[in-house]
Amino acid sequence: MGESTITGARIRPAVQLVGLRKVFGTAANEVVAVDDVHLEIGEGEFFSLLGPSGSGKTTVLRMIAGFELPSAGAILLEGQDVTRLAPYDRDVNTVFQDYALFPHLSVHENVEYGLKVKGVKKTERRRRAGEMLESVRLAQLGSRRPSQLSGGQRQRVALARALVNQPKVLLLDEPLGALDLKLREELQVELKQVQREVGITFVFVTHDQGEALSMSNRIAVFNHGRIEQVGSPRDIYDHPSTSFVAGFVGTSNLLNAALSHRLFGVDAVHSLRPERIRLVHAEVADGETCVSGTVTDIQYLGADCRLRVTLDNVDGTTSGDRMLATVASDGLVGVALGGPVRLAWPRFAAYTVSSTDPTTDQTTDPMRVDFTGGTPP
Amino acid sequence: MSERTPVGGHSAPLRGVNRLFRRHRRLGLAALLTPPVFWLVVIYIASLGLLIGAAMFRLDPRSHKPTTELTTENLRTAFTDWDFVNVVVRSVFVAATVTVLCLVIALPMAFYISKIAKPWARRGLIVAVLMPLWAGYLVKGYAWKAMLRPASKFGIDKDGGFLASVFGWTPGFGMVAVILALTYLWLPYMVLPIYAGLDRLPPSLLDASGDLGARPLRTFRSVIVPMLVPSIAAGSIFTFSLSLGDYIVPKVVTEGKIRLLGNLIESTLLAPNQPLAAAFTLWPLMIIITYLIGMKRLGAFESL
Amino acid sequence: MTTSSKRARWGVALLSSLALVAAACGSDAKSAATTAVPATAAPTTAAPADTQAPADTQAPAGTEAPAETEAPAGTEAPAATDAPAGTDAPAGTEVPGATDYHWTPDAGVLAGAEGQVNLIAWAGYVEDGSNDAAYDWVTPFQDLTGCKVNTKLGNTSDEMVQLMQSGEYDGVSASGDATNRLIVGGDVVAIDTAKLPSYADVFDGLKLKPWNSVDGKPFGMPHGRGANLLVYNTEAFAESAPDSWGVLFTSGNPSDGAVSVYDSPIYIADAALYLMATQPDLGITNPYALDQAQFDAAIALLDQQKALVGQYWGVYTDQQAALEGGTVLAGTTWQVIVNLAKANGATIDAVKPVEGATGWSDTWMIAAKAANPNCMYLWMDWIASPWANAMVAEWFGEAPANSKSCGLTSDPEHCATYHADDEAFWTDVWYWQTATEECVDGRTDTKCVPYTEWVNAWNKLRA
Repeated sequence: MGESTITGARIRPAVQLVGLRKVFGTAANEVVAVDDVHLEIGEGEFFSLLGPSGSGKTTVLRMIAGFELPSAGAILLEGQDVTRLAPYDRDVNTVFQDYALFPHLSVHENVEYGLKVKGVKKTERRRRAGEMLESVRLAQLGSRRPSQLSGGQRQRVALARALVNQPKVLLLDEPLGALDLKLREELQVELKQVQREVGITFVFVTHDQGEALSMSNRIAVFNHGRIEQVGSPRDIYDHPSTSFVAGFVGTSNLLNAALSHRLFGVDAVHSLRPERIRLVHAEVADGETCVSGTVTDIQYLGADCRLRVTLDNVDGTTSGDRMLATVASDGLVGVALGGPVRLAWPRFAAYTVSSTDPTTDQTTDPMRVDFTGGTPP
Repeated sequence: MSERTPVGGHSAPLRGVNRLFRRHRRLGLAALLTPPVFWLVVIYIASLGLLIGAAMFRLDPRSHKPTTELTTENLRTAFTDWDFVNVVVRSVFVAATVTVLCLVIALPMAFYISKIAKPWARRGLIVAVLMPLWAGYLVKGYAWKAMLRPASKFGIDKDGGFLASVFGWTPGFGMVAVILALTYLWLPYMVLPIYAGLDRLPPSLLDASGDLGARPLRTFRSVIVPMLVPSIAAGSIFTFSLSLGDYIVPKVVTEGKIRLLGNLIESTLLAPNQPLAAAFTLWPLMIIITYLIGMKRLGAFESL
Repeated sequence: MTTSSKRARWGVALLSSLALVAAACGSDAKSAATTAVPATAAPTTAAPADTQAPADTQAPAGTEAPAETEAPAGTEAPAATDAPAGTDAPAGTEVPGATDYHWTPDAGVLAGAEGQVNLIAWAGYVEDGSNDAAYDWVTPFQDLTGCKVNTKLGNTSDEMVQLMQSGEYDGVSASGDATNRLIVGGDVVAIDTAKLPSYADVFDGLKLKPWNSVDGKPFGMPHGRGANLLVYNTEAFAESAPDSWGVLFTSGNPSDGAVSVYDSPIYIADAALYLMATQPDLGITNPYALDQAQFDAAIALLDQQKALVGQYWGVYTDQQAALEGGTVLAGTTWQVIVNLAKANGATIDAVKPVEGATGWSDTWMIAAKAANPNCMYLWMDWIASPWANAMVAEWFGEAPANSKSCGLTSDPEHCATYHADDEAFWTDVWYWQTATEECVDGRTDTKCVPYTEWVNAWNKLRA
């Protein structure tokens, strides 16, 4: 997969969201579900909308599908304004979280439904639905009812039912959410494979950051109805631009302003991935930041161990600051619970992030962290 | 079965009963089920047997009381005389027409209440649908008669009833009146199961249908109606059997001119000719059996 | 296998419940219908200056015998009689009944009064003043005897027979087409006239008749007699008032399509009566003695009549409403219906047509298993006593049974108008009678069509 080869500038956007806003409830009791969302999703992209529940990602998806009308803003599909079009007039299809298979129709009839509605001839739609079921490896179950299928099979029928219509964009609303872990991982691979084969733009809603990171070309991270950051999985992971993204995508040490000031001489919140930290047994290398502290917990995870460390002040007393470090298990020599430890990380591994804590919020503008530049200590 | 010591609080005899039932699960089950099973067997099945038996007795022509002499004459009369079969055919026609009309009215009505009306309005509308059930059956029958009364040159009130005086037209006291009044009476029994069925319908299915390109009417036809089949079948059991058995409303709104199966049974019973009345009663019984079997196939009983 | 048998079991259960409903409706809903009708269909029959509780005793709850009895129960003397009860009371003046109501109950029977009596009656036979405050012979009876009166109205003789067969009533006002069935069925028993002082005053023309006696033993107290009349709208028939039943059987009249027919098999006799006058070739001599050919002719006439009919009435208030509403312009009726409708402003009149008429000679009979025999005896004696019988005769529009009633009617000409003592008048009135296989006109060379066949034929005709 590697780095995203797709950037907004180079290719035609399949979906454009302009200033999208959605308000639910009455005037007296307004709930803003989505606010000021600008987004361009490129053609053929596997694009994920990632965020915790209630962050507005599903509402955005439903607005693209046409199930909800935006309170403000516009939706463009391949440059064409579809903001006010009904779902049946939009060339997009959806895979629903509960699959929404028609229980009174067989698997084959479910897959044929869209074609039948559009008036495709019987023999033609039979053939296409058959092929589609073949490609999701369900050809032999065509005559069954959805209730006779397993969860994974239903999910593949839902996928086939949507894809058989060859939409411009496929919308997936947490399609793997109801499956158990092993099946979910299998289907992640399969879904990605299908997407590569058909070349259709996928807009994928998930709250699972691992899923988003492993499958997507790009990710938009949602929080409180707004986009916190848009970028490739690597961007998002390595350079979270806000403390929310840093905390939500993977695990991060968020170093508060006071600690940052002490360590780097900069009065800003910094993010530091635990796996970038190493144990210092002898020398500290050039360009590394080094701290010392006391081990308060050791979690054994197999290849790795997770250490919880309380940092010392310069004068040797214990500060309140804690840090999480992921280190190779075989490097764990001379470290004991309650004992002293020294930690170090390359200076560029720590980045300033904007705080999205509403109480101390200074800015909601995504503040890009330059890969090379960072914020030197 | 876990053998836990009973927690305190129970008196000793109660504990004894508890223990008894815990040891002998079947005993508890028997105690629970005996009354309803007794009711089922004695009241329902035995009375059905009596009904069939009663149809076999000969009537004493002088006292008009059933004798113990057995005959098949009543059954032959009830089932082979074309005049009576004609009444049966008419009754089935009325019941079927009422059922179809109820369906045609109830479907959009229930759909509006369940999917379109605002949540606060929904409750009010359901109450409005149920409200007529609180009014007396006879009151409603005579109310229809009053509304349907045609204008007359010679009456005290020459304008006629509501329909005649307001719209200048009334179907009068005929078949249309029967069907209208019965449709009005039994409509709530069709609306409620369909409303419940719609309520159970996952909204994502409607989204999915629209998503796949179906316009609302197509969605209604291809998704909503097929999914409502069990509910419709359940509702139709009410409307069909209630219409088939009704005899007062037909009498009231047609001035006694049109007779349905229920009227035939009533007049025979009052003649009094109980054996023949029992034989006639086997007609609705058979029709309803057939109907129920048909509806069972459509899954009506999952929706009751 | 198991599922199918399970299915069958549930099927049977469901069906039998439906069957029960169908069967139960036959009697229960019907009673609901008849008791509720006066309240819904005839709200306009409210009596002037009605001080009584409306429809209190007229519409008792269905077939149940109400438990509440206000009067002292059992053997106690009723509170209303001031004078010492029983045989000590000097006959006549000191008993209120004797002075106000011309009735002295038999003391022995009164002593055993049970506190209530459950009656099956024709509409208009048991009035408590709720229809017209001036007509109340129930309240005095209750006051005098302490027997609370509970009434269930019967719409047809057939219905009355069916109700009596239920065994829940003490007595019935039976017409001649019900009496024989009740006697043969053992539902009623012979009376002891010694306990019925009023019996002596009954016109001889009503006593010991085929329909109310067996082997010279009386089976009830005669109530009165009357004819079924031809009612017509005086506006519709402004040019010439009808005087023939032909109005109901032939087309070309103002009432075509608005004819009201009594919905009972006994109405076949009305057709036979008309044929008796218009088709002498058929040889009908008694409308209740019809051989197969005569019977078929009557049915054919009724079949042809259907095109003219606007109403088949079973409940008297239905005909009353139709006469008032003008949706019925001619029909067969009872005087009491005419009276009620006229009181509400209906422009109608009634006549006994030239062909004669069917009619009734009614008899109060006591149930073989009466729960309140003493109260029933008191009622039978009361209803045939001079004052009460005069009241009921005037209210219903019939000839009284008691000869002394003629002096007590508010219209002094009542007995003359209704030909109470004029036996010649009654020669062309054919009292309702049960048709039997042995022809009731005495023919022995042929078999007549029995009433069971009348019921079937009527059902088929109406199908």
